[in-house]
Amino acid sequence: MTISSSRYVQPAREGDGVNGRRSPKPPPRTWNAIDPPFRGYQTLPTDSYSQTSSNDPIIIDNGSHLIRAGYSTSSKPLLEFPADVARYKDRKTNRHVCYVGYNAFADATTRGQIKGPFQEATNVVEKWDYMENVLDYVFSSLGVDNGERGGIGRGIVMTEPIAALGYTRKTMNEVLFECYRAPSVAYGIDALFSFKQNKGSDGIIISSSHTSTHVLPVLAGKAIMSGVSRLNFGGYHAALYLKKLLHLKYPGFPAQIKDYQVEQMVRDQCYVSQNFDHEIAHYLEWTGLEDRDRIIQFPFTEHTVIEKSKEELEQIAERKRQGGIRLQEQAAQMRLKKLIEKEQNLEFWKDLQRRLEGQTKKEVKRLLDAEELKDEAALDRTIKDLEKRIRKARNKDIGVEEPEEQEEQSFPLLDTPDADLDEAGLKQKRHQRLMKSGLEARQRAKAEKAQEAARQAEVQRLDDEQRDTNLDSWLQQRRAKRSTLLQQIKDRDRQTRDLGNRKSLASQIRMKTLASLASDQPGRKRRRGGGDDDDFGANDEDWGVYRTVQTGEPGASDEEEEEDLDGDMRKLEAELLQHDPEFSEAHTMGAARDWTKSLMHAFLRGPRPFDPESQRELHQLHLNVERIRVPEVVFQPSIAGLDQAGLVDIAAGVIESGFGKDGRDRRAVLKDIFFTGGNTMFEGFQQRFEKDLRALLPVDAVMQTRKAKDPLLDAWKGAANWAREPGYKPASVSRAEYEEKGSEYMKEHNLGNVG
Amino acid sequence: MPALTALPADDSHQRLLDQLDLVSKPKPFRNPAWRHHQRRNKNIKQVISEAQRKEASVMATQNNSGATTPAPEGSAIATRAVTPQPSTGGVSLTAQSLSTMVLEKNLQAQITMANGPVATYSNIESAPSLHPASQKHYCDITGLPADYTDPKSRLRYVDGEVFEVVRGLPQGVAEQYLEARAANVILK
Repeated sequence: MTISSSRYVQPAREGDGVNGRRSPKPPPRTWNAIDPPFRGYQTLPTDSYSQTSSNDPIIIDNGSHLIRAGYSTSSKPLLEFPADVARYKDRKTNRHVCYVGYNAFADATTRGQIKGPFQEATNVVEKWDYMENVLDYVFSSLGVDNGERGGIGRGIVMTEPIAALGYTRKTMNEVLFECYRAPSVAYGIDALFSFKQNKGSDGIIISSSHTSTHVLPVLAGKAIMSGVSRLNFGGYHAALYLKKLLHLKYPGFPAQIKDYQVEQMVRDQCYVSQNFDHEIAHYLEWTGLEDRDRIIQFPFTEHTVIEKSKEELEQIAERKRQGGIRLQEQAAQMRLKKLIEKEQNLEFWKDLQRRLEGQTKKEVKRLLDAEELKDEAALDRTIKDLEKRIRKARNKDIGVEEPEEQEEQSFPLLDTPDADLDEAGLKQKRHQRLMKSGLEARQRAKAEKAQEAARQAEVQRLDDEQRDTNLDSWLQQRRAKRSTLLQQIKDRDRQTRDLGNRKSLASQIRMKTLASLASDQPGRKRRRGGGDDDDFGANDEDWGVYRTVQTGEPGASDEEEEEDLDGDMRKLEAELLQHDPEFSEAHTMGAARDWTKSLMHAFLRGPRPFDPESQRELHQLHLNVERIRVPEVVFQPSIAGLDQAGLVDIAAGVIESGFGKDGRDRRAVLKDIFFTGGNTMFEGFQQRFEKDLRALLPVDAVMQTRKAKDPLLDAWKGAANWAREPGYKPASVSRAEYEEKGSEYMKEHNLGNVG
Repeated sequence: MPALTALPADDSHQRLLDQLDLVSKPKPFRNPAWRHHQRRNKNIKQVISEAQRKEASVMATQNNSGATTPAPEGSAIATRAVTPQPSTGGVSLTAQSLSTMVLEKNLQAQITMANGPVATYSNIESAPSLHPASQKHYCDITGLPADYTDPKSRLRYVDGEVFEVVRGLPQGVAEQYLEARAANVILK
């Protein structure tokens, strides 16, 4: 047995009643792919501006995914919207339009124009026009109207990324102070606001948001900026990674997978595995796959076959029958007409024959010439022929089966030497010779056929005999034959596959052949061989060139051959099944291709059979390994090709190196490891982090982890609270300071970046 | 929320769009005289490289000129004993080797940097992992732990069945799989 066939003959995987896997199951639970997150036209209370004083700043959590904004007086942000802007010139109305946030998802046109102020995959503002649109939207929605004095009339507290870039802050300052005439602006770090909101003082913040994941140590409420570390992976990257995986998993997926749908899948279906390697290795196993495999259903339209009612079917059949009868009648009439015609002809010829009797030779010649006949023999033949045809037609009409004429044809003239014959005789002789050789050829073919059948029977008999006498060698032969067949089938599959691809070897060979066939110049072979004859066709395989040249579409002959190989295989396996004690159903090719044992099937289609005809199933995505594979990237960035250490390694590094020799600080921060940001909301994130970090810490280290009360909104709430504290005023840059000290001027404070 | 694919026949959708449009909304808070300067949009690469150039130029000026104030006597330099100095000390030495002092001042800056460098957007990025865990291999197709690598496409695969899939991939798809873990070769 060759190695190449091992794939097909491997025994069935051990399993829990393999046959049970086929048993019908209740319809699976599916999750629908979400619609665009359009919220309709929404109004905010218009008096919110007038209810606040100029001492209540507007808090903006300037997130690269969701932006939250509101007055510091409210307990939660009034506004929350994605950082998406659709701005274009409407062709219908011929004016510029701009939709921000969820409004940008209003229809297909607006969705197609969505861009954001942030640079792709980062938390850095790049497109300032869009940033202005976002701020316009914020102030407009918040009902900002400072009357005569203009400007926004409220201070701004805005979040910025850790170690924000000076240029970004400078430009933001320019926009806020000059475009919106803000009286004061303060910046702070979202993670620190969230930590403050959750009453943290010493600790390590694990902040995983849309575009990045940060580890940030904090002592006495002040960030240790030297200890900060960033991993360039967040919710954005997780969704992008899942999207890539899904595109590769379902290359011909009929629906378009949108970003917001993928984000939803990440949020709803993914979780962090507690023991990744172990769990993923067993993820596609049959047991429990039903629960692990999640089906995302995309909208589809089922092609329904219109069922015809019984009466309709009967009507159709009746109509067909009627049509058939009519056709038969027509044909019978036609036959009758022809028969009459023939009989008239026969009458005419017979009459002619009678008239010829007793006429002079010259007269006979004249009469025959008039009818374009050569001689009397020709007339005889015509009459005989007609008579035969009429008889046949009559018999057919009345349904009499005419016995095959078995008259022994005689060829008397063949033995007569040419010299004894006149011209007509010679002609007759030639005719007879032709007839004779035809007859002989037919007889020969018949004999050969009989011989072939006998030979086949003999082969079968010998084969049976060999099997009976020497089963081992017979089996050996059959197995060898089977592996060759397998190889052939594989080769054929590969060939068809390769021909679809323009750059494959098979396609290139085909092109070469085509070129050489089309070229007028003699090929190299011919030149060497000399002469014009290239022996094409001497070898049967030469004709294969036409198969090679045939296009990739499976033509008729291809189909035939395919049938042939597969048919042969079936026959062979049937024989083996009957006689080979070691060969069982599980070894057959059909069994090896059985979906219940296929890893790829479990991966692509879960624990159910797949019907490629069903539009419903074609529009389904199965999430299984992806559910843990995607969030795992934060812990093992190399999975997604990110050349950075995992989150736990980073945190361990920060803890180890960030706090000098003093063990007290380290002990303090370990007691409060704090999670915030949307990307930490995966089920199991906290536990996994704790488990992995514990393994890296000394035995007696005391560690505690906790999650922000609201990982999404606590940054905004913290900022709002901070703005009500006395520490806020001195930390904000006033308009006068801005004008005096320039756009790059900033103030350091505990919750912000340092200059 | 009803399906948005089917738009109503009348102009209600257009009216909704008009309602949502930000351009037509009054914006009394905006400064009508505000003109932003050209080319304010810079991508992160430009911004970072500008920031780094600025930093470098500050360093260079400190290295080359004596413009920065020398550290006062008995400062951290002496205590750290960076340079073994003859204990002649005094103003004369300071006068003699102003440049040395500038250098030492810079050195001191670097030392403090080592303890707590200024965090910048680029330098807080975490380093590549040297941990053996980052060497784990997973099947590119199924994500399962993989023991094998196809030498032809360089894809990792978990078993024979997946190998057949790997070998049956259409042209270019193997590169996409590699790209998903940033292992593809980009020819420039």
